[in-house]
Amino acid sequence: MSALRLASFRLAWRELRSGVRGFGVFLACLALGVAAIAGVASLSRSLSDSLAHQGSVILGGDAALSLSAREATPVEQNYLEERGRVAVVATMRAMARVTGQASQDSATEDNATLVELKAVDSNYPLTGDITLNPDSGLLTALASPEGAYGAVADPALLARLNINVGDRIKIADAEFQITGTIDSEPDKLGQGIGFGPRLIITNGALRRSGLLQPGSLVKWSYRIALEDPTARGLNEFVAETRSRFPDAGWEIRTRDKASPQLERNVRRFSEFLTLVGLTALLVGGVGVANAVKYYLDRKSRTIATLKALGATGGTVFAIYFIEVGLLALVGIALGLIAGALIPYAFAWGFGAAVPLPFVPGVQPRALLLAALYGAVITAAFVIWPIGKAHDVKVSALFRDMVEPVRSLPRRRYIAATVLAVAVLMLLAVLSAQDRRIALIYVVASALVFLVLRLLGSAIMAVARRLPHPRSTTLKLALSNIHRPGALTPTIVLSLGLGLSLLVTLALIESNLQRQLNHTLPDQAPSFFFVDVPSNEAKRFDAFVRKHVPEDATLNAVPMLRGRIVSLKGVPAENIKPDPEVAWVLQSDRGITYTQDLPDGSQIVEGNWWPVDYDGPPVVSFEKRAADLLGLKVGDDIVVNVLGRNITASIANLRTVDWESLGINFIMLFPPNAFQGAPHSVLETLAYPGGSNLDTEMKLIREVAKAFPAVTAVRVKEALKAISDIVGQLSLGIRAAAAITLIASILVLAGALAAGHHTRVYDAVILKTLGATRRRLILVYAIEYALLGFITALIAILAGALAGAYVVKEVMRFSFVFAAQTAILASAFAVLLTVLFGLIGTWRALGQKPASVLRSL
Amino acid sequence: MKWNNEDGMDAPFKDSLCKDSLGKSYNASAPAAVIVNGVELSLGTGRARVHILKQISLEIGAGEAVGLIGPSGSGKSTLLMVMAGLERPDAGIVKIAGQDLGTLSEDQLARFRGKNVGIVFQSFHLIPTMTALENVVVPLELAGRADAVERAKFELEGVGLGGRFHHYPAQLSGGEQQRVALARALAPMPALLIADEPTGNLDEATGREIMDLLFAKRAEHKSTLVIVTHDGSLVKRCDRAVAMRSGHIEQKAEEAVTA
Repeated sequence: MSALRLASFRLAWRELRSGVRGFGVFLACLALGVAAIAGVASLSRSLSDSLAHQGSVILGGDAALSLSAREATPVEQNYLEERGRVAVVATMRAMARVTGQASQDSATEDNATLVELKAVDSNYPLTGDITLNPDSGLLTALASPEGAYGAVADPALLARLNINVGDRIKIADAEFQITGTIDSEPDKLGQGIGFGPRLIITNGALRRSGLLQPGSLVKWSYRIALEDPTARGLNEFVAETRSRFPDAGWEIRTRDKASPQLERNVRRFSEFLTLVGLTALLVGGVGVANAVKYYLDRKSRTIATLKALGATGGTVFAIYFIEVGLLALVGIALGLIAGALIPYAFAWGFGAAVPLPFVPGVQPRALLLAALYGAVITAAFVIWPIGKAHDVKVSALFRDMVEPVRSLPRRRYIAATVLAVAVLMLLAVLSAQDRRIALIYVVASALVFLVLRLLGSAIMAVARRLPHPRSTTLKLALSNIHRPGALTPTIVLSLGLGLSLLVTLALIESNLQRQLNHTLPDQAPSFFFVDVPSNEAKRFDAFVRKHVPEDATLNAVPMLRGRIVSLKGVPAENIKPDPEVAWVLQSDRGITYTQDLPDGSQIVEGNWWPVDYDGPPVVSFEKRAADLLGLKVGDDIVVNVLGRNITASIANLRTVDWESLGINFIMLFPPNAFQGAPHSVLETLAYPGGSNLDTEMKLIREVAKAFPAVTAVRVKEALKAISDIVGQLSLGIRAAAAITLIASILVLAGALAAGHHTRVYDAVILKTLGATRRRLILVYAIEYALLGFITALIAILAGALAGAYVVKEVMRFSFVFAAQTAILASAFAVLLTVLFGLIGTWRALGQKPASVLRSL
Repeated sequence: MKWNNEDGMDAPFKDSLCKDSLGKSYNASAPAAVIVNGVELSLGTGRARVHILKQISLEIGAGEAVGLIGPSGSGKSTLLMVMAGLERPDAGIVKIAGQDLGTLSEDQLARFRGKNVGIVFQSFHLIPTMTALENVVVPLELAGRADAVERAKFELEGVGLGGRFHHYPAQLSGGEQQRVALARALAPMPALLIADEPTGNLDEATGREIMDLLFAKRAEHKSTLVIVTHDGSLVKRCDRAVAMRSGHIEQKAEEAVTA
């Protein structure tokens, strides 16, 4: 047995040695798909590693304890200081405006903009370095010059306010002198998306600025560099802190999970791209199968000879499986090398542009996963055609013509193929974080694959049965579609898969863009005014009304910050929520109280509270979040508001129209819950007739002057910040789509190359019989266009279904079928098919009949 | 005719064969290397189905050389395939070197063929991607022979290609290719050597050379030889001739050929 296996290896090696002609597409398809998966996984792992490595820098210490709206008590502060060095950092949004002195011209006067304010103490930063320009050191830079406080700013702030280093700005009641600009801020990543440029001041300056009002959206973060910085020390510190201050209501983050949100987003996006890469590999699989099939067709005589010499069908299978396997190893290795280099290429090309700590590295696990995918895909696609070689008939050698083998391979090869496909599906599902989506992807791809395969056969069957058209050209084109060995199944399958994905991605992208741009003018407010002190709310309303058209709508709701401490008696930190609602538990949320059900909300379970409700605390919870957290009407939740734990039972569940961008909250309370609690007011302003930059900027200036402590967030600016990020993601999506399209084209090119001989033969015979080159081109163009058109229809359908699913179920937006986008994407792909097909055929047409006929 | 019982088969079979026997050189007492009895074979399906072999019975003694002759389409090559175990008869028995081929699975047949049947094709059917030596080594390796390479070299030297071990088929002349094919067929020392118009693709002089070699080697190996040919001079070198026509063995074949 082992001698036989050795013989199989030797025979496979000899076959290989003669060259790998015809395997170019095979290698390219595998390498491309494997490189895509390996690249995406390596990139995201390098990023995660970098994030983990830089954890304490991003976090600003070994651990960070955040409090909303309140500072740590002296007891808490003492406790922390006994455990290590502590830096206190407060962050909030505020309006910075140019003071009279700084403005050199009237255009600059009263300029105001939102800033992301960060107030630090002398211990900041505990880890990492902040670099300033001029490089004076943070302490010096923040020292108070005469009559003002020192501040350093993001250069963007200077540009936005049209001021220079040395100029002064006002925030609330305090005046600041810009003493330098920030080149890099070590813990910038830990803070999430910024809606405005950063401004760093001291804690002391913040306290005296007048910004700190009851209910202000300020976050106090206590970063600690532990005396015992080991992992054990860190764990002990966290455990002790939790047990000593169970009701502190602080969010504790540690350096090993410094930016969970970012890490999760990186992971999700990379998983999404991995699935796209997997599709590329799947499309490539068709090319792999084709290459093997054509190769074995060419080898049928050799196979028959081997069998005549005593090789069993099993030996024949072993020989070619080994041969193809060795080639696959080469393709996979090429893909892995390319994939492993992608993080380096990324660092080289984009490293400076991406605001992330990125250290490229070789990621063995990522490469292993990609290699596994490559190997399993190879098995899934080659066992079938090689299995057919088992039954090549030797007797044909006597007839000098090798008969086609039967259409199905033996049962064992079918079983092995099914097994490989099952392993592939399992791998895709198990290696994904979000298994539900991976599973849906797997099932959907399998369905699309099946539908396309059947469609190919159906098109051939229909073309065969169609009445013969009068036109010879059309007749020839039709017969090209259905005759044995036609390109139809290959074109439909590979183009269909690639195109379905292309349409899906194009629709997702267009819906994302639409969501960010087009839905705005109708319903969304133009401004959010944050931190309006409750005692000034009336005056503020009157002021704004005076400055906006009469039909503008101003909405106000009381705003508090609260953090979920426990659900149904289970502490929040012990709950492993669905990733989609993890944010609800992660940090403090805005909460409000209201007598009436807000517009756009609908009660779906339970009852709204009666007027003047005076019973024990109750809460209204958003339906979907409640479902995902396993909450029902009547369940108890504990929320920490202003340091006080409030236990409320869920009175009702309600649906919320988040897309309105109006004021919406996960949790609503009846007014009695927070009677007398200090709070601020959140207001929105919408211009029904729309607004332009000038009117909005003017309002910002007026408000900043009259209410310096109120922060105005321009919705358009905030959305632009998000839209910029989405734009960068789109780039990734497009790159992935391009890879799939390339895979499709490769498969197509491979099929055309394999059919080249037959095409030359046809072309020569037809030319001999009087067909002109123009007519032949037309024949082929009609063939490709017909196939492309039918495939595109199916692809648009499949892509629309998939796109709608992703947009509605995963992203939770409303879906609009952008027909133009879908049609453009598929028209482009069809055009490409025809073009490539014709390029392949052009050579066939150029052949001189005589030379070909002689060699026939 | 179906034969269910091996023991019940041999006696009447030999009797009938003796009656049909044509040759003066035919040695009925020699142990049979090939026994074909009552073989029926149709190929194709539906209306394209053709009845190719009709009640073929034939016995060939060990070491005997038989020329299989007849017009195109008479079933010669198909009978050859049946003897090589490449085509399964619809009915009847085929025994090679005492082994009933009908009892073997497809894989067993392949292994049996590798060890016991050497085939020489009209169009050589060398594997183009392998050197002369490797082509000859293949059946030996498939049979798991430890001395495969030595044995292959020996056979190649025997057919006069000692200096051509590492040439590929494309680098060899037609005659040389057929010599390689001959060495390949002989290498496993098969009990049965079958050749399907081995000179059909060669010029006359080269064909004669190959045939000299084939008969010399056969004598050397003491193999049984069945050869399909249209060449009368070749048939004369055989111990006897079996003529086929329309799927039957012709009774008076030998007289027709040797006359």
